[in-house]
Amino acid sequence: MKTGVSSKIAGWTIVDKAILEKYKKRKEEFEYWGPTPEQARKAAVAKKKGLFDKRTTIKEAVAKYVKDGMNIGIGGFVNTRVPTAIIWNIVKKGAKNLTLSFQSNSICCEWLAGAMVVNPDHVSIKRIELAWWGYEVIGIAPLLRYLAGNGMIEIDDYTNYGMSARFKAGAMGIPFIPTRDHGGSDMELVNRGFMMQCPFSGRNVYLLPACIPDVGIVHVQAADMYGNARIFGSLCTCPEIVQAAAHSIVSTELIIDNMAIRRYPNFTEIPYPVVDAVCEQQFGGYPGAVYGQYWFDMEHFLKFRSLCDEFRKTGNKDGIKKYYDDYFWSCDTWDDFIAKIVPHKKLIQLRRMDGGQPMVLS
Amino acid sequence: MVTVADVNPYEMIAFTGSRVLEDNTIIFVGTGLPIIASMHAQMTHAPNVNLIFEAGSLASILEQGMPMSVGDTRAFRKAVFAKGLCALFEMTQRGYADYAFIGGAQIDIYGNVCSTYEGGTYAKPRVRFPGSGGAGAMAANCEKTIAIMALEKRRFVKQVDFITSIGFGDGSPDYRDKAGVMGSGPYRVITNQALFGYDKDRRMMLLEYLPGKSPKAIQELVDFELKIAPDCKEMALPTEHDLMLLRTKCDPEGYFLKRKVVEK
Repeated sequence: MKTGVSSKIAGWTIVDKAILEKYKKRKEEFEYWGPTPEQARKAAVAKKKGLFDKRTTIKEAVAKYVKDGMNIGIGGFVNTRVPTAIIWNIVKKGAKNLTLSFQSNSICCEWLAGAMVVNPDHVSIKRIELAWWGYEVIGIAPLLRYLAGNGMIEIDDYTNYGMSARFKAGAMGIPFIPTRDHGGSDMELVNRGFMMQCPFSGRNVYLLPACIPDVGIVHVQAADMYGNARIFGSLCTCPEIVQAAAHSIVSTELIIDNMAIRRYPNFTEIPYPVVDAVCEQQFGGYPGAVYGQYWFDMEHFLKFRSLCDEFRKTGNKDGIKKYYDDYFWSCDTWDDFIAKIVPHKKLIQLRRMDGGQPMVLS
Repeated sequence: MVTVADVNPYEMIAFTGSRVLEDNTIIFVGTGLPIIASMHAQMTHAPNVNLIFEAGSLASILEQGMPMSVGDTRAFRKAVFAKGLCALFEMTQRGYADYAFIGGAQIDIYGNVCSTYEGGTYAKPRVRFPGSGGAGAMAANCEKTIAIMALEKRRFVKQVDFITSIGFGDGSPDYRDKAGVMGSGPYRVITNQALFGYDKDRRMMLLEYLPGKSPKAIQELVDFELKIAPDCKEMALPTEHDLMLLRTKCDPEGYFLKRKVVEK
């Protein structure tokens, strides 16, 4: 078996040679940016496997599981079913030198980055393994542009399938997974994957290392007190992230009865053993959309994004600082935050804009 | 009678995008113009075009209006299959997605697309873009890739700063095979002033240009030497009915269709 072969990209790329050398080294001296598959296995084995009540508050769960230097696997996709309430609590608690792993995300990353801009001794991002960081129709992510443009974070780029497959490998307990993408693009040269000659067919195939977060954080529509969770609409990569991670925090719009879970076990997308904390939190994905619950609050995305963009363009932090003063530091809980930021009428409107997407809760 | 002056640049892109889609196919769409073009195709000549949204839906019915993003909950409305990213990308890798419909910041003569950064270095880019998202995987493994972007000189470059989405690479016949990807690669590039395909040597080729323009005028907006198809002709304009559909059904808020194009 031959590894480290290359497609023809090496002869065609115009990416700077010195840069390529640097990233080649990162590939060759590979290390997991979080637990190894063996460490993740040990964490799983050490857990009590009975059905017991895992309900707690997000604040307590974050205090227990999120520490400096960890790899946080963020669920959701762009602006949908994003675990904002958990991220908000992480910002409140503070966590430094984080590695963030996700496929595509918007405000979760920007909130952490904004906290880093405001107070880097409280929250800081060291590196990210990702496919995409932006707001889609709302615009590019100003703070990604700021952090990347100033060389303040290390970046490891994959495709959305690549990151999803990496979490899947983590969830499968395997060290890597072959994919049919990344090869022949510059990602082949700079990310931590490896081109290999397939031992069976002799053809080139691209291998991606498993992605195993220390803590996986996801928001779902419904879960029982043990952590059996249902997801409606897009599953995103949430089941894979939670099963890959050494520990996981699941926030849920609703707690449903275990007998409901048992009535339709095929609807369980996340099984209880892979969940460590279950946190009931209505509007736990706001200002993102949660299928069957509420739609995006475009207005709030625009508001926060414009403050960040102003900082990026002018270097003036006042707007962002005030935002964190108003909506983080002076709120005790997520419910306080929601009460402060969204008028009741607006919440009703957001629920209506979901359009009654169907869920099965019984 | 609709004239060129009645159609704004992004409406031209969306209409042309719709026109190149074939019925009874599966289209893997990116946010914005690809969704609009596919919605228009479904309402007109290709009712049995079905969409993959990478968040994990297949053949949804977009009765709640244009999804704001490929992860929008509206992109899952009345789908026939709703899972996550893995499921739909795996179907694509397996060969069930006919067209990739992607955007990007830069494209080169061989259809390689950059959406990672522009200027500076990878480690410290002048302008960092959001990243590959699904595009890199779509360009690798959908059967044919359609790129969609405004015709601007800064976008049609000799070589892209960073290949995010694979095209024909350096243009050699075995480039994609050596890259380990499955799709046949670049098929069309849709812009507001021109429709491009590729010649037998995998180089971008002008197929159609906006009425009133000329191949020479198009070449001036492209930084590499453009091949011109022997049967190169004027682009078809949308009818009033097409414009009505685009403006009132596909993107009534004008999120994508009302943007401006900068030709430099």
